Amino acid sequence: MKSNPNDSTLGKEIGLTCCPTCNKVTCAESACCSRCDTKLIIRDYGSLQKSWALLITAAILLIPANLYPITTLTNQGQVTQDTIFSGIAHLVKTDMIPIAIILFTASILVPLLKIIGLTIYLTAISFKLPISKKNLMMGFHIIEWIGRWSMLDLFVISLTVAVVNMGQLLDAKPAPAATAFALVILLTQLAAKVIDTRLLWDRLETKNDSSTNT
Amino acid sequence: MTQVQTPKVVKKKLFSPIWLLPIIALALGAWLGVKSIRESGVEVRIHFPNATGMDIGKTLVKYQGLTVGKVADISIDDQLQGVNVDVLMDYRSSPFINKGTKFWLVTPKASITGIEGLDTLFSGNYISILPGEGESRSFFEAEITAPVITPGNEGLIVNITSDKLGSLDVGSPLFYRQIPVGQVVGYRLDNSQKIIVTAFIQQQYASLVKVDSQFWNVSGISINASLSGIEVRSESLASILAGGISFSSSDHSDAAQNQHEFSLYDSEEQAFGGIELMLTATGAESVSEHTAIMFRGIKIGHVTNKILTDDGVSLLAKIDSQYSELLAGSSSFWLEGADISLDGIKHPERLLTGSVINFTPGTGEPLQQYPLLTDQPQPLNTQKLALTLHSDTNPGISAGAELRFKQIKIGTVLSSQLNAALTEVEYDIEVDADFSSLVTKGSYFIAESALSIEADLEGVAVKTRDLSTFSLGALSLVRSNNNQQIVNGASLNVFANSSDAKNYFKNKQRINKQLTSKDGADVVKGSPIYYKKMQIGQVEQIEWQRTENNFIIDISIQKSFASLLTDKTVFWRNSALSINASLNGIEVEVAPLQAAIKGGITLGLLDSAMIDSGKHLYDSKFLALSQSTTIALTFPATVKLEKKAPIRYLGHKVGEVHSVVLSKDLSELNVEAYLYGDYAASFNQQDASFSIVDVKVSLAGIEAPETILTGPYISVFPGVSAQTSSEFTGLIEKPFHNINNALTFVISNDNLGSINKGTAIFFRGIKVGQVDEYRLIADGTGVEMTVHVDNQYRHLINNTSVFWDLSGVKVDVGLFSGAQIETGSLETILAGGIGLATKDITSSDNMINNDYRFSLSSTVDPLWLEWAPKQAAQ
Repeated sequence: MKSNPNDSTLGKEIGLTCCPTCNKVTCAESACCSRCDTKLIIRDYGSLQKSWALLITAAILLIPANLYPITTLTNQGQVTQDTIFSGIAHLVKTDMIPIAIILFTASILVPLLKIIGLTIYLTAISFKLPISKKNLMMGFHIIEWIGRWSMLDLFVISLTVAVVNMGQLLDAKPAPAATAFALVILLTQLAAKVIDTRLLWDRLETKNDSSTNT
Repeated sequence: MTQVQTPKVVKKKLFSPIWLLPIIALALGAWLGVKSIRESGVEVRIHFPNATGMDIGKTLVKYQGLTVGKVADISIDDQLQGVNVDVLMDYRSSPFINKGTKFWLVTPKASITGIEGLDTLFSGNYISILPGEGESRSFFEAEITAPVITPGNEGLIVNITSDKLGSLDVGSPLFYRQIPVGQVVGYRLDNSQKIIVTAFIQQQYASLVKVDSQFWNVSGISINASLSGIEVRSESLASILAGGISFSSSDHSDAAQNQHEFSLYDSEEQAFGGIELMLTATGAESVSEHTAIMFRGIKIGHVTNKILTDDGVSLLAKIDSQYSELLAGSSSFWLEGADISLDGIKHPERLLTGSVINFTPGTGEPLQQYPLLTDQPQPLNTQKLALTLHSDTNPGISAGAELRFKQIKIGTVLSSQLNAALTEVEYDIEVDADFSSLVTKGSYFIAESALSIEADLEGVAVKTRDLSTFSLGALSLVRSNNNQQIVNGASLNVFANSSDAKNYFKNKQRINKQLTSKDGADVVKGSPIYYKKMQIGQVEQIEWQRTENNFIIDISIQKSFASLLTDKTVFWRNSALSINASLNGIEVEVAPLQAAIKGGITLGLLDSAMIDSGKHLYDSKFLALSQSTTIALTFPATVKLEKKAPIRYLGHKVGEVHSVVLSKDLSELNVEAYLYGDYAASFNQQDASFSIVDVKVSLAGIEAPETILTGPYISVFPGVSAQTSSEFTGLIEKPFHNINNALTFVISNDNLGSINKGTAIFFRGIKVGQVDEYRLIADGTGVEMTVHVDNQYRHLINNTSVFWDLSGVKVDVGLFSGAQIETGSLETILAGGIGLATKDITSSDNMINNDYRFSLSSTVDPLWLEWAPKQAAQ
């Protein structure tokens, strides 16, 4: 153990850890937080695995979410089913490009980028890729923040289903892809949530930051 | 002290259970993928003539309303003859896509027979599929029309053969008792001779079709027009437009099986057929197909075909089934056309329609074949009734004329001749045995006129008879109420017409009476005589009597009214329209139209025995009932007087003017008037005064205003003379009649001023009398007025009375006295007036008698107005 605490010294190195619940700095040896009795874990190495599993599930579900129709629209007895992409294509066709861009961003780009981003992030942690931890962290925050906006599509569908219900004349119903898409969003959110971000510092700090910081 | 604890060694799990999640997702995705590949469906290609209403990805394939596929692609075929439609069928439908499977496009179709595929209006056209048998395949040719039977629409298919299609079409309905039970689903030519119409009958009605059911065409409107009328028949409106087939069903026959063959008849009559028989003849000149077979004028069948045989012609005929029982072994058929002879034309309509075959029923079993006779078989002769008829003259009846009853021939006239005494015409007649019972005792015959025009006020009736009546005449039998049969050889009467006959019987029941009238009374021979508006007799004759210068009217009254002819009976002429109008209202009495035009006489009864002989014909009902007497008046020619002007006594009508004639020298008016019987005696004194009353408008008011409307009338006042007269000289001015014992006296003045007839005399402002007359004094020195004061005021006047002129307005203007204006009442300003004042109390000493003279003062002395003697009322 080093005993020269500087700004890059980790708590773990000086025998301190932080309560995950109440953020009390506690001695690393103690098993539980003296304040809130939460079990103290210095580093959750399992979280990496969990995050990977969730991310892979999300990636798998991304396929049906995009291939299957997301809505079933009955218009005067004619049933049309739309996938996410055909919906966007339809919007582009009808000259509603701004909405198409929003929908494309929220429904296709963001989930995809999120999965890619998380993959890079996890890969960086798992395989110790030489990437700047600050950049990674910034990307991670962006992913966490923007991820929720992916629910826009589902939000629109649920609203439409509730409002448009006129039997044979006009009716909208969610199709199987909606579930898959919802799961993708949920799983990517969880994947970002479960990961113990401290692992990043352990693995990458020493290697690269010194060089980037210096 | 640090407590040494045994370290908890946790074996690090290689894999977290969280990895199950991707595995599950993977498995799920894989399963979904496999499923979607498995269920991706079968692709088939259907060749349609066109792709109307089909959209890629939208047009569905439906089976019984269930979506089983969707159009995936449409492309034009290689020969450019149609389109290939690629359809992605549901994977579950693959077992049904076989060689026999049929596809067709369902489009909305509105036609006369109904609307099909209404659902496609919303959902768009769709392709319907009917699964079939055979090996699996993936290319199909689409059906042009929907196949006949679709499962769930089970029914009976029958084939109906016909010579021509008519207006039948696919969709034409099939009716059973006018209920649509199915429809025509197709038709095709069979070996260029017959048309086979395929009809579909719904399952619930399939049992109605029996093996012997008859099908007939009910298309359009069947119009059967002949000279006897037009018959129009049609089934439902749809069948008029779209055609239709109807069929019959019998109870006992077996139900028809699918694909049973029937033949289609043109009409219901043909379908039901009847009895077919054959008529043999040597020729068939006037017979054609459809020549009718008639029985008693009713068509019972027709000829259907003519066939040339070795020995002549055979006619195939059909007797309608409802008349089939008429046909018997001894039935006979003969040809009958229009019969043109001097008698006239019998059945002239057959000149247009052609001959008919007549038929008589008979007895015995019907045969298959009958000879067609050329003439009517003679009916068996029967015993006829021979009679003799008598007539005054011969009304144009010659031998051979028909005897008729209700225009049916019942016999013939055999001969006509004068009787031995040469007084009458005699006819020998023969009545057919069938009708001999019609001729009873009391019956008589009337000669029929071929053309009779009876025009009277009730209307015009034109009757014509057939031509034989024109040439030979005819006699009509009129039956009597007597039921006693007449014997052979009896004699009966003949009359020229029914009115002669009526007169003959009527004349036995009449009473004659004579009336006298000053004029022709507007009646003619035959004018009716009424009693209470019912005709009871008629005028028989009118004669002018030179000596009396009057007319004698002979009337006859029916015997049943004899009791009306008593000493109270009066007669008056009917006026067409009598209007009794007065200011009290209008009473209009209109005589029966006949009486109004022909004139007429009315019989009435008085309450008491009449004064004169009862022979006089009065001018009006009123005059008759009042037993009026006639007077003659003479008026100056200036008088305006009209006929009917009333004669009044104090407003009561006591008579009326009958005629007004200006004398030849234009100087006077000769008026003939009636005085009603009740009053005549009161006004027949020689000095009775008759004066004209006409409206007089003056400042004093309007006199007799009612005459503005009614015209002038005559006022009468009885005289006192013992001598009676019926001729009077009328007065222009109504003289004053002192009816109420009024006090009359004379007032003289040098000037009349505004005094006029009727100018009132006022006592203290109350009118007590008036000026009745005024005249110039003979020597011209003044005027004198005859004045009367009502009886009740006579005590106010004595020889001390003074009279002054109240007329007008007196204005007295003086320099110092100022202006004084004196007026009386408004009435006196306008009409003038005479003031009256009396100084002393009236007593027997100073009482005045009639014709006492006063003089009129032009001004009033104020002193007079202060006189106030207390008069004792008498």
